[in-house]
Amino acid sequence: MRPRELVIELQNFYVLSFKSLLGVFRRPFYLRDTIEQMDYAGAGSFFIVFLVSLFIGMALTLQISKELSSLGLNMYAGRIVGISIIREIGPVAIAFSYAGRMGSGMTSELGSMVLGHQVDMLRVFGTDPVKKLVTPRVVSSTIMLPALTVIGDAISLAGGYYIATFVVHQSGSFYWSQIRGILNFQNIFPGLVKPFLFGYLIACISCYTGLTTRGGARGLRRATTAAVVLSTVTVIAADFVLTRALIFLL
Amino acid sequence: MIEFKDVRLSYNGHTVLDGISFTVRFHDKIAIIGASGVGKTTILKLIVGLERPDDGKILINGQDITRLSESQLRDPRMNFSIVFQEGALFDSLDVQENVAFCLRERGILSEEDIEKKVKELLRRVDIEQAIKLMPEELSGGMQRRVAIARSLAACDPGPRMMLYDEPTTGIDPITADNICALINELSSGVPPDRTGLIIVTHDVVNAAKVAERFLYLKEGRIAFDGDLPALKSAEDHDLRRFIKGILTPAGERET
Repeated sequence: MRPRELVIELQNFYVLSFKSLLGVFRRPFYLRDTIEQMDYAGAGSFFIVFLVSLFIGMALTLQISKELSSLGLNMYAGRIVGISIIREIGPVAIAFSYAGRMGSGMTSELGSMVLGHQVDMLRVFGTDPVKKLVTPRVVSSTIMLPALTVIGDAISLAGGYYIATFVVHQSGSFYWSQIRGILNFQNIFPGLVKPFLFGYLIACISCYTGLTTRGGARGLRRATTAAVVLSTVTVIAADFVLTRALIFLL
Repeated sequence: MIEFKDVRLSYNGHTVLDGISFTVRFHDKIAIIGASGVGKTTILKLIVGLERPDDGKILINGQDITRLSESQLRDPRMNFSIVFQEGALFDSLDVQENVAFCLRERGILSEEDIEKKVKELLRRVDIEQAIKLMPEELSGGMQRRVAIARSLAACDPGPRMMLYDEPTTGIDPITADNICALINELSSGVPPDRTGLIIVTHDVVNAAKVAERFLYLKEGRIAFDGDLPALKSAEDHDLRRFIKGILTPAGERET
């Protein structure tokens, strides 16, 4: 892509992202579409979030316990697992799962609507495609990803508890007391703020790539791949920037 | 009135329209014919402002629409109902919700009135029985009918001109014949009061059943503009090959 085209793409992306937010405050409000999207994003994603979180929690606890036990410090496993999950790994891992499931779905749905002239029809009918299609997806992602992250964090910690108690043979109550010890503002706040931003970014990127799909089935494949790749890279980059900013602020 | 004045459009360096000029009155019945990829659908999109030309002017009732914003395009678009190839129905909505879409968006009618209006429109296009079906459950011909009903619902009190993109492509001859009959019925009446139509197609046989004037597109330009007798007697070699279907006597075609 040439520099000029890249600048135009970025400009169009910013405009779409901004308009999707404006849509929240301007009539008409597509409440039914938003609730449908929230149901699909939330309840529909629960199973994948459950699996991803459970295995991450268990694997992380195994790794950390092994390293700490060689140093004779395995009583700190719960504390380190808790901080890692709540502040960093939980939000990022759930965001990746969300981008893979919901982001690719948004892109392919909107892309096929573009290719099938359904978006053209919306414009002809005087309906703003950004308000009708993008805003409900952005709102639902911005609300549901934090909710999924909280659930995912809890499942990860439960997975860690299972490993700590039944595999590494630590005291379960000690594990939970370690977790309770790190549940303070400095740890919880970053873990809750990040998913809001990640949800917004994933929805904007996925909708933008969907609405700019060109070139039939091959174009749709390219758009869907691009949406997942861009979302993943953007989440990692945003995570770094946000972590840096939050460490500085808190 | 629709006026194209020296309209040019390219995609990725490939010239699609190379200085197209023509004038159409709202009550005219026009067929834009030509091979695939010559820019027929693009002309329809330009008329309703879905595409912008690189150069030239497009006037709707004297107003240049080429630089209008989406909200400013709302009024010029109200003159037209457009039916895209394969209907472009919203696949997450059933037939009733598709036809009711514009009526609900406008928010003027009550749910009861919307229901009545939808049934009336579906009866008009003879597909009332499919009211609860999803688009994927409809045949090609049924999808076109629902799309026509939905387009009629979009314009209040009614469109001044219908725009059809390949309405008979990919469907069997009997269904295509029925679609042509419906198109003719919707554009019946005496000019200038009748609803006009522009049909873009490469199906010349069916285009001849509904149109009175033909524009032949070739290499981004209008290579022919005239009525059916003039079309049949045109001497352009490519055009004669293209319209072979209507040059052959009907009896021979059937055998």
